[in-house]
Amino acid sequence: MRKADEQGFREFAAANAASLRRTAYLFCGDWHTAEDLMQSSLMKMYMAWKRIKDLENLIAYARKVLLRTWLDEKRRPWRRAEQRDGELPDAADATVDPDTTSAKLWARELVHTALLQVPPRQRAVLVLRYFEDLSVAEVAVAMGCSEGTVKSQTARGLATLRAIVEKLDNSSGRVAS
Amino acid sequence: MSEQEIREGMLLAVWDEPPLDFDPDKLIRRVEQKKSRRRALVAVGVATAMIAVVSLSLPGLLPRGDDSQLAADQPVVSSAPVNELTRKKAQRIGDRLAEQLSARMTNLKDVSATLDLGAVYGYPPYAPTTTRKSSDPKMSGYVFLTDQIGPTALRVEAVENGSPTRSTCGGAIMCRDVKQADGSLVTEAEFAEGGPDISRAEAVRRFGNGYAVTISSHNYNPASGSGLRQTVPVRVEVLTALLMDESIDWE
Repeated sequence: MRKADEQGFREFAAANAASLRRTAYLFCGDWHTAEDLMQSSLMKMYMAWKRIKDLENLIAYARKVLLRTWLDEKRRPWRRAEQRDGELPDAADATVDPDTTSAKLWARELVHTALLQVPPRQRAVLVLRYFEDLSVAEVAVAMGCSEGTVKSQTARGLATLRAIVEKLDNSSGRVAS
Repeated sequence: MSEQEIREGMLLAVWDEPPLDFDPDKLIRRVEQKKSRRRALVAVGVATAMIAVVSLSLPGLLPRGDDSQLAADQPVVSSAPVNELTRKKAQRIGDRLAEQLSARMTNLKDVSATLDLGAVYGYPPYAPTTTRKSSDPKMSGYVFLTDQIGPTALRVEAVENGSPTRSTCGGAIMCRDVKQADGSLVTEAEFAEGGPDISRAEAVRRFGNGYAVTISSHNYNPASGSGLRQTVPVRVEVLTALLMDESIDWE
């Protein structure tokens, strides 16, 4: 690869790595896996950089690669699965604001528990639509499906998520809004 | 739960993300290593496939003999077994000669023979020459014997292109061709070399293909060059009988 192209990729990767990792985290629910997914996606893009460097919306292409990488990873029968049977240390965090703690904990619960119970493609649609703020057409391009499918997947995903959140709220005594 | 709440929940979920330790250069190096590994793997795969194809197709491309063995331009036979077999044959001929001579001349003792490939000279140890020339005989050696005078020997020599009769007869006091029953010709010759007694008797059997065997008897021991005596120990008729013995396969 030419030095100029390599520099172009370097700049793109440095600018979008964090954003891609966040999206990957919402897909998989684990920061380590998210980092692996982000790096795998960027490696794939580097190998195809000569062909894709002139695309109009490179970040949309990157999201598409990330989504495909995550779905491929999920399909693998030997996929790594973290054993979550350990106990986290119960230590106080002096930096937290008590006013926002409740909301943050609820959000983390939302992601870790509720969103991870939504089927993968519906979860991907919800993340792209509500976290990345993409239009239906952009999500359709990223998902490689029609806009109608995006709409139906969004509706089903929201219904599934609401049902799970309601169930979680009922079990924790929190009133669903 | 509204869509806005979902949106805010997702944003809050990534609020406490761990610090990102990302180095694009490191990633590029990893990709390049992966690419070179893949190239090496492809090269190894292609080389393996080519070797497999060549090894499978080569026997089909080479001509085959009737026995389905790979045919070479010339049959590959190591020289050692041929020499071994021919040497054995020469020794067998020598053994038969010694037996037949003992049977025909009962006054002889200690009859033995040393025949080998090529030119055999000298006594002892009658070793054949290590380097063979085109002029060398095909087989040569001695038949050792001891009579009432003492030990001596007959000279035996086989050549592929025997000399004509007239060259054998040069200087002979007696020389004749004796036609044998099997069609071969035996030349008998006796030489006096100026003396009153026969100093050398010689019988030459010539085969149709040019192969010729000579047995000669001398008034000295040809194996040692010494042991001069008055006349030859074995007469030419006996030499002819030895040459014509059916139990000896000369060719």
